[in-house]
Amino acid sequence: MTQLDRRHFLGSGLFAAAAATIITPEMALAGTSPAGWSLAVADVDADVPEETLKLVHGKVPANCDVTLYRNGPAKFRRGTGTSGHWFDGDGLVRKFRVGNGKARLTARFVDTPKRRLETRLDAIVQPGFGSSRRDGAVVNGPDDTNAANTSVLMSGGQLLALWEGGSPAILDPETLETKGFKTFRRDLKQMPFLAHPRVETDGTVWNLGGNGKSTFVWKLNPDGSLGKAEMLEVGRASYFHDFTATARHLIIVLQPWVQEGFKFPLSTAMEWKPELGTRILVIDKDDLSKKRTYELPAFSFFHLADGWEESDGTIRFDGCLEENPTFGQIAASALLRGEHIKAPSPMLTQIVLHPDGKADMKTTRISAEFPATDRRRAGQARRFTTHVAGYRQTPFPHAIATWDWKSGREDKHGFGSHQLVEEFLFAPTGSGERDGWLMGTTLNLKERKTELHLIDAGRISDGPLATWQASLPLPLTFHGNIA
Amino acid sequence: MNNLQSMFTVIAMCAASISTSSIAQNAAAKLDVNFTGIEEKEGAILGVVFNSEDAYNGKGAPVRQIMIPADKADVSTALEGLEPGVYAIKAFHDVDGDMKMTTNPYGMPIEPFAFSNNAVGNMGPAKWADAKFEVKPGANVHAISIK
Repeated sequence: MTQLDRRHFLGSGLFAAAAATIITPEMALAGTSPAGWSLAVADVDADVPEETLKLVHGKVPANCDVTLYRNGPAKFRRGTGTSGHWFDGDGLVRKFRVGNGKARLTARFVDTPKRRLETRLDAIVQPGFGSSRRDGAVVNGPDDTNAANTSVLMSGGQLLALWEGGSPAILDPETLETKGFKTFRRDLKQMPFLAHPRVETDGTVWNLGGNGKSTFVWKLNPDGSLGKAEMLEVGRASYFHDFTATARHLIIVLQPWVQEGFKFPLSTAMEWKPELGTRILVIDKDDLSKKRTYELPAFSFFHLADGWEESDGTIRFDGCLEENPTFGQIAASALLRGEHIKAPSPMLTQIVLHPDGKADMKTTRISAEFPATDRRRAGQARRFTTHVAGYRQTPFPHAIATWDWKSGREDKHGFGSHQLVEEFLFAPTGSGERDGWLMGTTLNLKERKTELHLIDAGRISDGPLATWQASLPLPLTFHGNIA
Repeated sequence: MNNLQSMFTVIAMCAASISTSSIAQNAAAKLDVNFTGIEEKEGAILGVVFNSEDAYNGKGAPVRQIMIPADKADVSTALEGLEPGVYAIKAFHDVDGDMKMTTNPYGMPIEPFAFSNNAVGNMGPAKWADAKFEVKPGANVHAISIK
């Protein structure tokens, strides 16, 4: 008898007692005890040697041969000190390899100057997005504070661990061994390189690196070599973690969360000025001096999805938009103290830029983060956006879903209150936009284990086709890449 | 980073004027300065040697300049005829040989630099108190890791 059947059977008089059996123990664990969800921001003390994951649910599709790389902060505390922000922990790159019916996991910290210094001192000293500079800090350039903890990119056969304020770190795609920072050209050392490059279908990579009222524009050729490196004035010192692109244009969203001078932590150098509104720049990829400007009411954001352009010049893209940057300013810092500060939910929203210079926002009213799409459709019209969903009592999501922009419907799977859901990425098996798998990870708070899931992208509500469990819990990741 | 940039300008200007510097023959100390850990074996190590905190902080001239080819992992120079006393050194590796600290498009210094005692600064030069070292009568050796 399922819990739901039992509730009907028991009738209204005993409803409360039955409800209690439904709510506990996961809700109590995840909802009221900080010890529950704080596993999401716990420390990992050492690299994780290769292990075979345990298949705990379903069957592995015979043709499944996928490698999922993920990156996220996994060391926040040393000595008596703690990082000042979720974004400032040392990057732990995880490699999930599914093939021959088995899944394997290896995880290795990116060997950065920050990590070496803090290991030697047994103290958190380097400043960052939300961390102050402490005694013993050594900061002679951005890469001294580089946490290499945000995403990964495969470019020219190299696996790059990405941050946003400094250089990518080069990793061996097999062993995850760090090979130093990537220098695209001698005079471009220590330049910012966002963790959200936009990759065209031929492998051409576009990226930005912001600093004050300027951004640096990177273009990498499919072989990983530098194609373009130009400074672009954007006119406003907005913080941006992400940008987007169509086939012909770069789209830079300038939220009114603006840098006012330079100090550490960086988040305290930025002020929320909603009266400025949000400005969107559309830049011609072939001639960066050609730009159009659109104005929208103020919103904050971290993540956008790929954009496209229609035949009449209308541009569409979607993102997870927040009323204000409370999460980045204070709530993401509080997580490391086990505190949950309520911040405005990011809402999945489509932005439409019309040829006449007007702009619109169409919200789905769905709280969503970590948007993911079929990368083969980068720059082209598409119908679906996959995202994490189901934010409830914890600061983290509990579900994965795909929004259908055409039908206005959602295909969703809730993993339960005891599971914290990370970004899921699309691995195609056929030509259709949902012909393939979604692969992603969750942190199972009840079992205290990280899980890897494979879901049929066209039938999410059926739940995972296969679920594997690691031998240990790893803190939550931000972003990854399927290779 | 502006403090660092002006510091590198001073180092480069001083190093360029090496041929005009005089050596006091009657002093009693010799200092071998070894630069170690050079990664890119090209260009030159440019450095300046100060004997007072004021001079180190830009309110006076260096007592010696250094310009040596950076063609090996470890290179050294001998400074003869120094007065025994307290000194500090600022140096950078002019990898591309343009006699100035190369910066990236955002103005960040991107050639290796170092201070005596391997002292480190924060968003600027190391402090005199951290970089100063004693030169005694006779032979002295001071090693600086520059990578």
